[in-house]
Amino acid sequence: MTGEVILSVKDLNVKFRLRGRELHAIRGVSLDVYRGESLAVVGESGSGKSVFTKTFMGLLDANGFISSGQILYGGQDLAKLYKEKDWQKIRGGEIAMIMQDPMTSLNPLKSIGEQIAEAVRLHQKVKKKEEIREKVLGYLRDVGIPEPERRYRQFAHEFSGGMRQRVVIAIALACNPRILICDEPTTALDVTIQAQIISLLKELKEKYHLTIVFITHDLGVVANIADRVAVMYAGDLIEIGMAEEIFYDPKHPYTWALLSSLPQLGQRGEDLFTIKGTPPSLYKEIRGDAFAPRNPRALKIDYLKAPPYFQVSETHKAKTWLLDPRAPKTEPPEAIRNLKNLEVMQR
Amino acid sequence: MAKYLAKRIGRSLITLFIIICVVFILMRLMPIEGYFKNFDKMTDSQIQAGLKEQGLLDPMPVQLLHFFQGMLRGDFGVSHSYRENVPVTEVLRDKLPVSVKLGSLSILVSLILGIPLGAVMARFKGRIPDKLGTLFIVFIQAVPAAVYYLFIQMYGTTILGIPLLFDAGNAKSWILPVLSMSLGNIAYYGMWLRRYMVDEINKDYVRLARAKGASGGSIMFRHVFRNAFVPMVQYLPSSFLNTVIGSIYVESLYSIPGMGGLLVTVIKNSDNNMVQAIVLLYATVGVIGLLLGDIMMTILDPRISLGAKEGGR
Repeated sequence: MTGEVILSVKDLNVKFRLRGRELHAIRGVSLDVYRGESLAVVGESGSGKSVFTKTFMGLLDANGFISSGQILYGGQDLAKLYKEKDWQKIRGGEIAMIMQDPMTSLNPLKSIGEQIAEAVRLHQKVKKKEEIREKVLGYLRDVGIPEPERRYRQFAHEFSGGMRQRVVIAIALACNPRILICDEPTTALDVTIQAQIISLLKELKEKYHLTIVFITHDLGVVANIADRVAVMYAGDLIEIGMAEEIFYDPKHPYTWALLSSLPQLGQRGEDLFTIKGTPPSLYKEIRGDAFAPRNPRALKIDYLKAPPYFQVSETHKAKTWLLDPRAPKTEPPEAIRNLKNLEVMQR
Repeated sequence: MAKYLAKRIGRSLITLFIIICVVFILMRLMPIEGYFKNFDKMTDSQIQAGLKEQGLLDPMPVQLLHFFQGMLRGDFGVSHSYRENVPVTEVLRDKLPVSVKLGSLSILVSLILGIPLGAVMARFKGRIPDKLGTLFIVFIQAVPAAVYYLFIQMYGTTILGIPLLFDAGNAKSWILPVLSMSLGNIAYYGMWLRRYMVDEINKDYVRLARAKGASGGSIMFRHVFRNAFVPMVQYLPSSFLNTVIGSIYVESLYSIPGMGGLLVTVIKNSDNNMVQAIVLLYATVGVIGLLLGDIMMTILDPRISLGAKEGGR
């Protein structure tokens, strides 16, 4: 993919101190985010996708820290920012975030208008009360909240879940960011609302020229919105490529397994596919391919040596020994070869 | 709002009415010595005549009616033994202002010191300020008040040269009693505010405010403190009441001519009219305190709707 790199992560390592032990949550991830794209980061719970994006905003929990690596954004290295003051310029104004649960993301005692206005005051050079109000009403309209004048004065408990997520999106927009991180924005919503929020985000991305980083484990959502998909496993980015490449030509056995577990692939009367076992403990040094113990077709070398990236195409690379010319020819599982015909995959 | 208020005030009045009736009836079960100064030397017929004169031989409902009639005129009868034949209202008029002034001052001091204490403890949770604050709170809660009251009096009067006895005209003599009365409340406010603020800090909306780029101070004040203060508000009127009436020990330590201990004294002396009036006063302040607490909550918290059928929580 050609285009301007807006955020560049280089060999990032994140660790957590937990009761005297160190947990290696992100193990040397490198990733470029391009301006104007929507990138989806997928992986199962605990794969480190949330922690990874939190480092962009300096929002790691107190016991977490970046042990090495760089996060280059706008000419500075975010991995070296320590002062809260410096972070406050990045947070919201440059990179904004939408969180998982809209039911608890809003202050229950402030009108939603005030909460959006707070973001406007923080990040836009608008001082007059009237102008701020006009701006806020504009954002409310943009996120599809009817009767914004009346809704301005209302409180979070007077909104439904979907409407609250729209308010949270309005707050993010009011910060006037360049990158919007959506941390599982639809997980807490019901299915019909999910589709609405996804299409709203697509619309706003165009209108506000946003770069979107989507964190999710819902592959249906990914197919719907992402240009590019990054697959994370055990704190490492094991495969990355354009959405079509990941869905129609996946290379890593973990990506195969992940796609096989799409519920849409299930056959009536048969159990859904599950990935056996659990991800490795991140307290210990991982030897070889982290997925090898759960991979029924693991090679000997998978247990000995960590695979490097093998370039599949200009935009597609994966960390698996299967791509080595010396590896035995292995085909992806039957089930995921016809993903094209699947309804969820159609845009 | 108006409808809700009318309803709540109506209910409060009914509560007060019931309290008055119960207290009044209980008072009639008390020994009759209290109605006379020199009961021991009186003959039976003198006693009967005296009772009749005071209207105490009338049927109970009639007595109650008379009491209510008097109450509406602001007449609560006269004290029999505490201060002979002085109207109850006059006795209270001398004593009440002293206690109210001391209590109000002490509440003010408690708020000024207790709230920053809780806020600082929450802000630096787990660090030195929090630990020092916890030490203070545990000390105040665990040590009987009488111990540190005496301590304050001993060292306050010797080291700071503050007069031992209270004198309303001497501002310096207010310091020690107000301080003694405040310590408990400071610890109480500090403890609860810290607890509520720590609860709030861990909520998602605070995380969102950080992600929005708000500064730590603005998050603490505009989001965390404000939200944590709402549940505190409900306690304030009642704790004010407790401070005003619960200072028996402090008032006796410094010979303060206030309300503290008055109720106990008049009950011991069977000064029935006084008992009635004081219980009524406390009950009224208590009921009003609860009412005010609820009203303040509903104003501050939009989630509590006033019109709802079974509103409140």
